[in-house]
Amino acid sequence: MRESELGRHYADGEIIFKEGDKGDVMYVIQSGKVKISKNSSSGDIKMTTLQQGDIFGEMALFDKLPRSASATAEGDTRILSIDKKKLFSTIWKDPTVVLKVIETMSGTIRRLSRDFAELKKKKQSMLCGTMDLEETCSFILEEARENVVTAENGSIMLIEQEKDQLYITAAFGEQAQKKLELAVGEGVAGDVIETGKAELINDVLTDERYKIGSLEIGSLLCVPFKYQGKCFGVLNLSSRNGNRFTLDNLQLLNSFSRYAGIALKNVLCMSDLKHATDAVLSHASILDGFQPLG
Amino acid sequence: MSPEDHPKTDFAAYVAKQALAESHPYALDDDARIAVVGGGPTGSFFSIFALKLAKMLDKKLNITIYDPKNFTKDGPAGCNKCAGIISELLVQTLAVEGINLPDSVVWKGINSYQLHTTKGSVSIATPSFENTIAAVYRGGGPKGIIGEHKESFDDFLMGQAIKEGAEHVPRKIQRIEYENGKPVLFSQGGEIEQADLVVGAVGVNSGKSGIFPDMGFGYEEPQTVKAAITEISFDEEIITEHFGNSVHLFLLPIKNLKFAAMIPKVTYLTLCILGHDLNADTVRDFLAYPVVKEVLPKSVGYKLNCRCLPKMNIRAPKVPFTDRVVMCGDAGSTRLFKDGLGAAYIMGKAAANTAVLHGVSKQDFQEHYYPVYKNIIVDNQFGNYLYFLADLYKNYGLLTRWMLQIVREEQSDPEDPKRLSSVLWNMFTGNERFKNIFATAVSLPVRFDLWKAFARTLVIRR
Repeated sequence: MRESELGRHYADGEIIFKEGDKGDVMYVIQSGKVKISKNSSSGDIKMTTLQQGDIFGEMALFDKLPRSASATAEGDTRILSIDKKKLFSTIWKDPTVVLKVIETMSGTIRRLSRDFAELKKKKQSMLCGTMDLEETCSFILEEARENVVTAENGSIMLIEQEKDQLYITAAFGEQAQKKLELAVGEGVAGDVIETGKAELINDVLTDERYKIGSLEIGSLLCVPFKYQGKCFGVLNLSSRNGNRFTLDNLQLLNSFSRYAGIALKNVLCMSDLKHATDAVLSHASILDGFQPLG
Repeated sequence: MSPEDHPKTDFAAYVAKQALAESHPYALDDDARIAVVGGGPTGSFFSIFALKLAKMLDKKLNITIYDPKNFTKDGPAGCNKCAGIISELLVQTLAVEGINLPDSVVWKGINSYQLHTTKGSVSIATPSFENTIAAVYRGGGPKGIIGEHKESFDDFLMGQAIKEGAEHVPRKIQRIEYENGKPVLFSQGGEIEQADLVVGAVGVNSGKSGIFPDMGFGYEEPQTVKAAITEISFDEEIITEHFGNSVHLFLLPIKNLKFAAMIPKVTYLTLCILGHDLNADTVRDFLAYPVVKEVLPKSVGYKLNCRCLPKMNIRAPKVPFTDRVVMCGDAGSTRLFKDGLGAAYIMGKAAANTAVLHGVSKQDFQEHYYPVYKNIIVDNQFGNYLYFLADLYKNYGLLTRWMLQIVREEQSDPEDPKRLSSVLWNMFTGNERFKNIFATAVSLPVRFDLWKAFARTLVIRR
């Protein structure tokens, strides 16, 4: 800690408070970032990342309930704590002190309302089976990036049965611009489809299978989507830098792809079913159009 | 301004504003002009909070801060003659308000006080174990300090006010006169502007406060005493190793001295002596006092740089406002012998809230500003009692010993409620109102602790 700094330093990953803790202090970030996350049955879910000047931990001060989420330092972070008793005494004398806190709370409520509406829309789409293939792939990619492994680029490639080729269904980062198509067995993705084994490559350029294109990447994670033992697509996450991913990342992404594969297969089946129904209905309407001979 | 200037959705707000303006001729209209005389913390705090609040209410204010001083300059040219301590409470409150003090403004983060008496010393740490008190320079620092890459606190605050929309005009206001019921400001070159409100944030050391008594509304300059402030220069390593992140506080039985504080700031130690009838010899006599000599590093030379004997407000003026004029900060009421910056925040904001939310008539200030103003005056009465008690404790060796004994025991026990420590901490840091400190100081548990210490002394003597 430098001589001229106010507050307290937290190292990268250091916990500021945990979900369920008693809270009688509010915090203001002086420098660095703070991750707010919530515990769930499937692990920690990141809610948001806060920046310099942001206020957090204010809810427990006002509703007297335990902390609703955990706060963790992201990188070297310096935080000033605000004592509850002193803050309340100041509010008593000058209620306008809390205008900034109210502004922060309003911002949080707005963000949560937006997230809630999006989640509800996704849930409804899933329940009604109306989510299309591209939406599902985008959703899976977003989840992989936000909550599984952080990466600069990512894509989902699925097999087009008639042509026996892999094509990009959804992507982010630089891969979002590319229209790559690979034959089964071609490139890293094509090889993963054939072998059914997830791959971690931390020096992509030395891998003979890698098809050099305009996308410069150093590290790659490629995991298959399987249904009843048969591969029908892959999930790629890549980074411009080498040695970016670990074996833990690979295992985590592979586990994620098992569940994501089931969701994806359901959508594919629903899509097939819808096409079949549409075909039957269109035949029925053609038959309806015939006048009985009499 | 007409309803056509507003989009349809703002029509209701327009009607409400017009109704307020018609019902109250002293309400600040859109585009109202406010002249702030004095660009120190009070003037900046007023400007920041008036502009923030006006924006929230969809109102436009034109605020001009008049101050010829350049706070970025080192030495007396940029100095505002102050010890430069921002209390834990003010640091935290400003952070909640969205004003975070950058490292470039803070010369030292303070986390403890070392109390020195004739009977020994004791350390009192911040309850949160954080660097929560900021040591700053109000101007650019002592003469010749350029190159330290630090910012002046007053300049930083004025920057915040400018960011909110205020304008700084480096001119000296010579006189203010009423014309058609509104104050008009004059400088050497003649009339500058007619304002809807003039905020007098001239302090007690700028030599500008004379313009307000001349307005004839009954304002008289506050009663003052002189403090002695000196900058002592050391090598940075000496300051870091010897003084750390502590303010060194002296309660010594020296005539006319209330207390003294040494505040470390990178390569300087700001010595601030408070009391009555202090003069040019006060610093020399104080530094020669044995307890002080013990605290200063031995066999290391030091140099006394800047010295000044600034005035300190000890009694607030009785008439601090009239129609369209309000006096704030040191030119109005401030806290006795401590936390002048905290008082600048409270009074600057109270004036801003009154002007924006209620109006700028004498009646508005009487109803909404004066209660805050008077609170400080009443609180200072309790401050007088506390300084009287502190005088007793520093002048009578037995009381000094009991006090140290209790504080040492409190500091060594993590579970102890630390009552006397908090009394001393709050008394000199500005963290708490004098009234509340007084209540704790005379509370039964503190008196019980003192009697316990007294009984122990008797047993030891026998």
